[in-house]
Amino acid sequence: MGGLVGSMWIALNALQAQEAGLQTATNNIANLNTPGYSRQRPVLEQADPVLDGNIVLGGGVELEGIESLRSNLLDLQISEETQQQGNSQAFVNAMQQVQTLFPDDTTGIGQQISAFFQSLNSLSTDPSNLTLRQGVLTSAGDMASAFNNAAGQLTGVRQQLDNDVQQQVQEVNQLTQQIASINVKLAEFSSTGQDYGSFLDERSQLIQQLSGIIDLSQINDGTSLTLTTRQGTPLVVDAQAYTLSTALDTDGVQHIYSSQGEDITAKISGGQLGGMLQVRDQAVPSLQSQLDSLAGGMVQALNTAHQLGTDLNGNPGGDLFTPVTGQGAAADMAVAFTDPQLLAASSDGSSGSNGNLANLSAVANQAVSKGMTPAAAYANVVFQAGMAISNGNTELNASNAMLQQLQQQRSSISGVSLDEEASSLLLYQRAYQAAAEAISTVNQMLQEAMTMGGGA
Amino acid sequence: MRISPQISELVLTALKTSDDAEQQALVQLTTGRRVNVASDDPAAAALEVNLSSQMNNCDQFLRSISSISSELQTADSSLNSAVAPLQRAISLGVEGANGTLSQPDRATLAQEVRGISQQMLNVANLSYNGTYVFAGTANSQPPYVLDPTVPGGVRYQGNNGINEVEVEDGQTVAVNQPGSQLFSAAGANVFVALDDLATALENPGSTTGDIGDATNEVRVAYDQLNSARSFYGNTINQLTSSQDFLNSEKLQLSSQQNSTVGVDITTAAANLSSAEAARDATVQAAASLNNISLMDYLSPLQTP
Repeated sequence: MGGLVGSMWIALNALQAQEAGLQTATNNIANLNTPGYSRQRPVLEQADPVLDGNIVLGGGVELEGIESLRSNLLDLQISEETQQQGNSQAFVNAMQQVQTLFPDDTTGIGQQISAFFQSLNSLSTDPSNLTLRQGVLTSAGDMASAFNNAAGQLTGVRQQLDNDVQQQVQEVNQLTQQIASINVKLAEFSSTGQDYGSFLDERSQLIQQLSGIIDLSQINDGTSLTLTTRQGTPLVVDAQAYTLSTALDTDGVQHIYSSQGEDITAKISGGQLGGMLQVRDQAVPSLQSQLDSLAGGMVQALNTAHQLGTDLNGNPGGDLFTPVTGQGAAADMAVAFTDPQLLAASSDGSSGSNGNLANLSAVANQAVSKGMTPAAAYANVVFQAGMAISNGNTELNASNAMLQQLQQQRSSISGVSLDEEASSLLLYQRAYQAAAEAISTVNQMLQEAMTMGGGA
Repeated sequence: MRISPQISELVLTALKTSDDAEQQALVQLTTGRRVNVASDDPAAAALEVNLSSQMNNCDQFLRSISSISSELQTADSSLNSAVAPLQRAISLGVEGANGTLSQPDRATLAQEVRGISQQMLNVANLSYNGTYVFAGTANSQPPYVLDPTVPGGVRYQGNNGINEVEVEDGQTVAVNQPGSQLFSAAGANVFVALDDLATALENPGSTTGDIGDATNEVRVAYDQLNSARSFYGNTINQLTSSQDFLNSEKLQLSSQQNSTVGVDITTAAANLSSAEAARDATVQAAASLNNISLMDYLSPLQTP
């Protein structure tokens, strides 16, 4: 269809196309600060040409739709790096709390152990002196309390993490439900063939959140989506969300179960949940067992030495500490008596002998825990706690840098630029003005043509 | 390539990085330590556990040395005061062996010898802070008691126990000499010798040879006491050198500690100022970036 009426149609379509352009620019500007928003642009195409006799005339512009600019590959990479980052972050946060339990000051186990052995040296200068004997018992008690405190606080950290794990699992369930319900909407929209960019953005945003919490593996072919953990526990399959649950296990902490009832606690390797579980189930128990081994080893060695001696009343020495071994030794460590006369300092039975104190002091240089002396065993605990955080920090920094770079890349594709939108606004406005001008020109020409016919 | 239009994240990260660096440098400068938590340098933190324990041990050894030193010095000076009277007893014996002396004169000498024996008993029963210094480890009661049934009339009820105190890592010193080595050693018993001398002087039937033999007995006991008491002088000397060693050890440990966990002030100060500079630069760059927008140049959009 050529002629004036055809031009009128072309101009009208042009008006609509520029309006759509204006609208996407406005929408982009409106979502400038919306997290996860991917910028949109109108898809304009030339309309089919018009054949007028032998002449092919342009058919104007046609608005195909609105498309969102995003890279699925980048989204996937961001999701994976987010899992790593969440993991490291949660691990470092929890371990930093743990690290403060092993300070190098007078409240720390290290200095209390050393203070105990120093009190023995003090007593050796005047073995029957009751004040110095009391000093040894006080130091022994302080040392035991330092062990008790550290063990108690490690348990506290574990309990705190246990609560956090439960909350995180609930959050996973909320997110998977939201993702499933978006999948429902997406299915409806995709059947109409219309734009569903905003839903994809929202879903992608939710997947990123989920990646921060748990390790994810995703199969995504546009609209259909399957989310599982790395180990294959299903979380979302299209419109169906699979709920995870927690339950207290025999080891005293919450275990995580898949919707099929499988215990997947040990299989979660990423996200904050992964980091928390790593601290709760590996790092803290390892430190606990080292403390227990140290406490149990010292108690046993000191008791053995103490029993070699004679107390101030001439009786053979008993236990210096309540016997404790194995799990819970650090938490239960306690001095066995309060009467300073019962301290078996003497090796020959007479009150003035300090001979057995040497046996007690010698424990400082004995292998009491995993082949290490008390000081070395404690230094090893400090080293392990510090090293875990130091490694975690390195991983976290690497993840942060990587994530930032990926997000920059994503933003360079999907981010809204005000400058760009401003120039788009200008372009669409001018084009709209021109199309309107064209309509008004065609209109005048039509009028003139009609006047010609009317003979006014 | 399209540049990412969202710079706020970049700015925030840059600010956080320089803030972290600034914070770390500040903490290092204010605490004087490079390692403030174990994760700053796990190996250094573990080493510090040992270093600070060794430092504290040095302090403890020094305290112990000063507390045993005063007892040792008391014992030493007390034994020192026993030397002159014993020498006097020997010269009394020599004098008594002179054949020209009358029996009443000898009896007077004998009386003085018995007085010296009493002095020796006081020295031997020296107590310090409620314990008896020369009683071995049975030191809750006086080591020597009068007992007419034993030779010399003085019985040793202490034991032969010797206490040792650790004064350097792994090194101990004996801190007492039992009376059985000083006053009542076998064959060199001060009280028996003095009693024998006094008895010989008192006995009118004694020959000058008898008195000379008794005097020799005192001489042997004196020699034994004199050589055994050198233990105290030697120990005090040893403790003084231990003190010197411990003080220099402390110095060395503290310098080792400083190089392990301490901060290099110059480096930390330089880090602080470069972190501050980076922060300023970031803030300025961010501020100027936000000033530029095409929007400013377009408004108001006018229709032709």
